[in-house]
Amino acid sequence: MTATLRKRLSTAALFLSAVFAAGTAAAAGKIAVITPYLAQPGTQFYVEAFQAAAKDKAWDVNVIDTKGDVAAVISRLEDAATQKVDAVVINVDPAQVEAGLAAVKDAGIPVVGMDAGASPYLVTNVTSNGYAMAADTAAYVANRIGGKGNVVMFVFDAFPPVQVRGVIADAVFGNNPDIKVLDRVTPDVSDGGIADSRAKMEAILAANPDKGSISAVWAAWDQPALGALQAVEAAGRQDEGIVITGIDANPQAREAIAAGGNFEASMAQDFHGIGKAAADAVAQTLSGKPPKSSVIYVPTKLITADNVKD
Amino acid sequence: MASALKTYGTLIGFVLVVLFFWIEIPDTFMTAKNWLNISQQVSMLAVVAFTMTVVMVMGDFDLSVGSMASLAGIVAALAFRDGHGVWVGVALALVIGLLGGLLNGALVAYVGILPFVATLGTLTVYSGLAFLVSGGKTIFGRDIPTAFSGFARSGLRLGESVSLPSLTIVAALVLLIVWFVLEQTTFGRRLYAIGGNKEAARLAGIRVRRLRFLAFGLSGFGAAAAGLMYASRVASANPTQGSGLMLDAIAAVFLGMTMSEEGEPHVLATLVGVLILGVLGNGLTQMSIDSYVREVLIGSIIVLAVAASSIGKAKG
Repeated sequence: MTATLRKRLSTAALFLSAVFAAGTAAAAGKIAVITPYLAQPGTQFYVEAFQAAAKDKAWDVNVIDTKGDVAAVISRLEDAATQKVDAVVINVDPAQVEAGLAAVKDAGIPVVGMDAGASPYLVTNVTSNGYAMAADTAAYVANRIGGKGNVVMFVFDAFPPVQVRGVIADAVFGNNPDIKVLDRVTPDVSDGGIADSRAKMEAILAANPDKGSISAVWAAWDQPALGALQAVEAAGRQDEGIVITGIDANPQAREAIAAGGNFEASMAQDFHGIGKAAADAVAQTLSGKPPKSSVIYVPTKLITADNVKD
Repeated sequence: MASALKTYGTLIGFVLVVLFFWIEIPDTFMTAKNWLNISQQVSMLAVVAFTMTVVMVMGDFDLSVGSMASLAGIVAALAFRDGHGVWVGVALALVIGLLGGLLNGALVAYVGILPFVATLGTLTVYSGLAFLVSGGKTIFGRDIPTAFSGFARSGLRLGESVSLPSLTIVAALVLLIVWFVLEQTTFGRRLYAIGGNKEAARLAGIRVRRLRFLAFGLSGFGAAAAGLMYASRVASANPTQGSGLMLDAIAAVFLGMTMSEEGEPHVLATLVGVLILGVLGNGLTQMSIDSYVREVLIGSIIVLAVAASSIGKAKG
């Protein structure tokens, strides 16, 4: 028994020290990157780009994934404060982890948000400009239909980052006197948003049966745009020139845009750019010159059939 | 000597883990502040694990605790959103927890469904209810009163920069209550008798059904309390946020069971199990070790600890 115990412990100790030795490179700074969302593709891209940038700066980066557990983010923030890292980067809603952010602030450690949301606890938050993304696609719609026609909007005002997109699209369409917003639909997103958007769009198509009675569909994100596309195609009205746009340019949306059908445009966020800009913000903060703005926007790109394959 | 090692192997392992971190992280690990931190970090898991111990004493499981914790947080948050006070929301959530636990108890004790199956069913039901009443959304921001979210950030000041967190105090109270119930009352002794041999317990005149029914009620109540603690800590409620608690709680009880000669769960041993999980999370983060290593280590430690104690038993 004693032998088993000794073996058990020495194995664990060996394992630990091996991992530990691998983790201690010559470090110009110790950075903890904490997120519950590492399993999501966008977050993976940010983190990879951040790590690549950190390598050039010879930082010792510890990526901590709490696998969806937000309370564990607070715990890990407290640990980072105890450990006295040089900076912390988070990818989670700051309002939900304020208890941990307070501990980090008390320890005098700066926190940079990587698409996290605005908070007084953050030096800055690096993200995509939701206003600009909505302006780009809404302007694309307005120009494509020549500033004239009926537009169906898919919005989601309950979620602040998506709500701002709807406000901007309202402004763009409102500035075109001959554009009429036929309906401002909030789809049920519990099934992912495509199915219910399709059902809602089918009802709108049924209520407006004449060719040309619907000029465009502007969606605040890709799923409703995909649902609307399915409805238009199922109704056999794909040749009426109905212009559909989304935002996020997810793989399914890119496929639809590349197919050259009604789904014409979406916005791609520059996830790598966000990760790199977050690393730059950390570097500036560590050198004693933190970024002035509480939000840093990384440019986004309009994706159409012309550039979807790039 | 050998039997002492067998019984205390897990405890010795825990001490060695602590020593390891103390040596590797000399400045910050073995400090009052860090240990108070750890106590707060494990408090939610601790409450679930302590009350889970009550049903595991009878040889039963409650798989529904994680979704009950989520549901309780959602129920309280919705009550807050509708303008009810903190105490109304908290009381409502605890009542839901108790009723949900008693439903498990009724299914197991009176309908006669295996606990694994019955609570797997209610796990899905409670999780579905949490999604249903919340519409699948996270409730946060102004909907959560500061008196509620402030609780998790408050504590009893012990000195200049250290304070005993309120969540730790709650967990300690639950520990005390469960310890008293299991170790100091006839109710507790009867639960252990049921765990030893249900049929013998019944023949000895113990009302097995009623005790199982009540024990599951306690487990549901504890899960709801932990769900409230979680919601207070993250100042929000989300229909999945408690789901990680169930497996960790069962793991903590199993780790604790290796410390008993008879392989019975005892709540103080469960505490050691909880601390092993918490200390690994805290220490490995401070050593900047990949968070996935913690998972591998914990799984290995559970298997090794249980294997070591059962090999020892087979020989003895």
